[in-house]
Amino acid sequence: MDPHIISILKHEVHLIALFIMGTVYIGKIIWIMRFKPMVERTPSKGNKQKAIINSYLNIAMPWEMESTRKKWYVWTEFAIFHIGVAFAIIVSFIVSFGNESLIDKTIFQNFFMVLFPISFIITLIRLARRIFLPVNRIISHPDDYFSIILMCVWFFFASWFVYDLYNTLIMGIYLAITAFLIAYVPFSKMSHYILWPFSRYYFGKHFGHRGVYPKVRVQ
Amino acid sequence: MNEINQNSTRAHKANEAFKTRMNRQAILSFGVCVHCGMCTESCHYYLATKDPKMAPAYKADRVRKLYKKYFDWTGKLLPKWVGGGELENEEDLKELMDITFGSCTMCRRCSFNCPMGVDKALLMRTGRSILYEQGIAPQGVIDVAKDQWETGNQMGVSEEEYLETIEWLNEELQMELDDPIAEIPMDKPNCNIVYAVNPREIKYAPQSLLAAAKIFYAAGESWTMSSKGWDNTNFGLFSGDNKLGAHMGNLVFDSVERLNGKMLVTSECGHGYRATAWESPNWTGRDLKFPIFNFLEIMVDYVKSGRIKLDPSLNPFKVTYHDPCNLGRSGGITEEPRYLLKQSVSMFQEMYPNRADNYCCTGGGGAMSMSEYSKRRLETAVVKANQLKETEANIVATACHNCVDGLTDLIKHYKLKMKVKLVGELVADALIIDKKFITPTFKAPEIEEKLILMVDDEVDILTYLSTLFNDNGFNTYTATNYENAMEFLTTQKPDLITLDLAMPGKNGLSIYKELKTNEEYKDIPVIFVTGVNPDNPGQLDHRKFIYEHSLPKPEGYIEKPVEKELLLKIVRKCVEVKVDNLN
Repeated sequence: MDPHIISILKHEVHLIALFIMGTVYIGKIIWIMRFKPMVERTPSKGNKQKAIINSYLNIAMPWEMESTRKKWYVWTEFAIFHIGVAFAIIVSFIVSFGNESLIDKTIFQNFFMVLFPISFIITLIRLARRIFLPVNRIISHPDDYFSIILMCVWFFFASWFVYDLYNTLIMGIYLAITAFLIAYVPFSKMSHYILWPFSRYYFGKHFGHRGVYPKVRVQ
Repeated sequence: MNEINQNSTRAHKANEAFKTRMNRQAILSFGVCVHCGMCTESCHYYLATKDPKMAPAYKADRVRKLYKKYFDWTGKLLPKWVGGGELENEEDLKELMDITFGSCTMCRRCSFNCPMGVDKALLMRTGRSILYEQGIAPQGVIDVAKDQWETGNQMGVSEEEYLETIEWLNEELQMELDDPIAEIPMDKPNCNIVYAVNPREIKYAPQSLLAAAKIFYAAGESWTMSSKGWDNTNFGLFSGDNKLGAHMGNLVFDSVERLNGKMLVTSECGHGYRATAWESPNWTGRDLKFPIFNFLEIMVDYVKSGRIKLDPSLNPFKVTYHDPCNLGRSGGITEEPRYLLKQSVSMFQEMYPNRADNYCCTGGGGAMSMSEYSKRRLETAVVKANQLKETEANIVATACHNCVDGLTDLIKHYKLKMKVKLVGELVADALIIDKKFITPTFKAPEIEEKLILMVDDEVDILTYLSTLFNDNGFNTYTATNYENAMEFLTTQKPDLITLDLAMPGKNGLSIYKELKTNEEYKDIPVIFVTGVNPDNPGQLDHRKFIYEHSLPKPEGYIEKPVEKELLLKIVRKCVEVKVDNLN
């Protein structure tokens, strides 16, 4: 690919995408804060702070919920997938704004060469689940399919890229998809990660206030 | 054309109402779902039917589509892309009612299994609220809510009937405790506790109020009930109507303030406790000067402080405990009942899963008042039935009147060999009181001449009931069918009628309708004494029949096989209350 285009993808396009994402996210946070929260007028029965912390840590405690206890493989997929997303974005930042040679270090490259293909396979599994499992199919909308397909393609090129670091065409595609992804995220279901911290906060606060959370589990 | 306009108007109004329902918690729960489906297998509706449309995420999406259409930024431009949409016609409203009222008990089990923290019960309640505002809800919910607005309690109990029932219970209490000054105090100011109950305790289950009175008596508690604002239940929670929620909350809170009580205690009612202790202060906007407790918490305090003593050998049964959703998942009460049961029964068997992971009794969210969905409710109860069966317990204890009804129904339907009791009843049975209880089998002089007409097509049941009533001082007359019963009624007016519902020819409900619509007979109290056909529970759905024909509720309802102490209590109550009315 033309080095000039690569440079535009690395810098201008990436920055524009980040600007869009940042602007929309800030707007979204302002929008959320404009809605009045339901306030409890009763004295708290439980430990709200502990409950909020527990609510956040829930993500890292697959034993906490029956759903993740029983479907431990889905939780495992979730964990790997999200670690994959984080690193695939970090790699794009390093390529665009950091020291590119960092990725070339064997230890990192080997790690990415394992992580990204596994993440790619997980996106395929998730897509298949959405298409073939009746429950997942019935709860899916075009945005759900588009988002997972987008992730799938992204991981495919991220995997290819870390295997072939100096293939500029693949790098260009990877960076272009990354930029699109960053700009598209706030408008899609993928924006859940901006809502998640608020949602888990209020979940912990509400149920902590009433002494329900953290759950007592004596099995 | 007019009808179409009216239909679209209602749908339009529901859409508009939705726009006014958002608060921060709601927009987060609506917005954060990623459709991962992890909640699916936490729902008993799905587990029992395996119908994808019973998956919590799908059901939530039927309400969420409005959020996507009106609030989601992408959804405003491209609603179909994100699953947004409006309610367009009557069919949409009907579908939403079927989902929010008929396919979800708002038990919150899915919320506790959602990695994102989506409170689906909140979404369902939002859906219910916009429908209810347009007058769209199961008839039972509408009727009960109307009763709460008009009479201040969900069973339409008049003040006179309420006070007479308490008076009758006082006599029972004095008899059982052999103490002429034992009583259920009424409107006593400056007490430690103001006790609010579920109207079911006044109407159908006086034994639970009697149990509470014994416990208060044994603990030497300073307590009272109020003649006004005594109903702790709140259909505002189920209908989504916060105004009704506030109205009921205000009635109870006003009582406590009027009587200058130090604390408010709600009886064993799951949603009653949640609504009164947690939701009503928010709905009413009042900063209360008194604390609110559940009766379980009070009993634990009595046991721990030595104010009451219990003998577990008095309950020689294997007892398990069912956590009501509104206590276990929405009220933070899970350990208190376990502590009490371990102190008051000889063998406690834990149920799995339990506490906040327990399955709903299937009667939650007002489901017991929605006869339209009884068949589905019992079909999905297989999950709970299996859970109960595995405990191999003789008794399933719970702390919620709604759960008592839900569990009793499913136990009957799935032919399980267990009974349902409230924790307080078991605690009362295990009480050690210096004064020995007297078994209430005496012949009260004032009821000796009372006449009971028993209508049942099974002769052996009639024989059994006759013997029971005769032994307890009543005169009886038996009729095996409609014709016999009506023939008798032309010659004599009984003081009470016990009525079987499933009879060949004209069934019990038809007889009931005839009685209650006839000026001459409508005041005769009627108790349904009937069996349920487990294969066809909806066949004689008395609740639906009563709602559909706008009939008054019967004075009592007992299922076969008859629990004789309970039947006698209800019979005595009906007869004595009637005597007082005549006076």
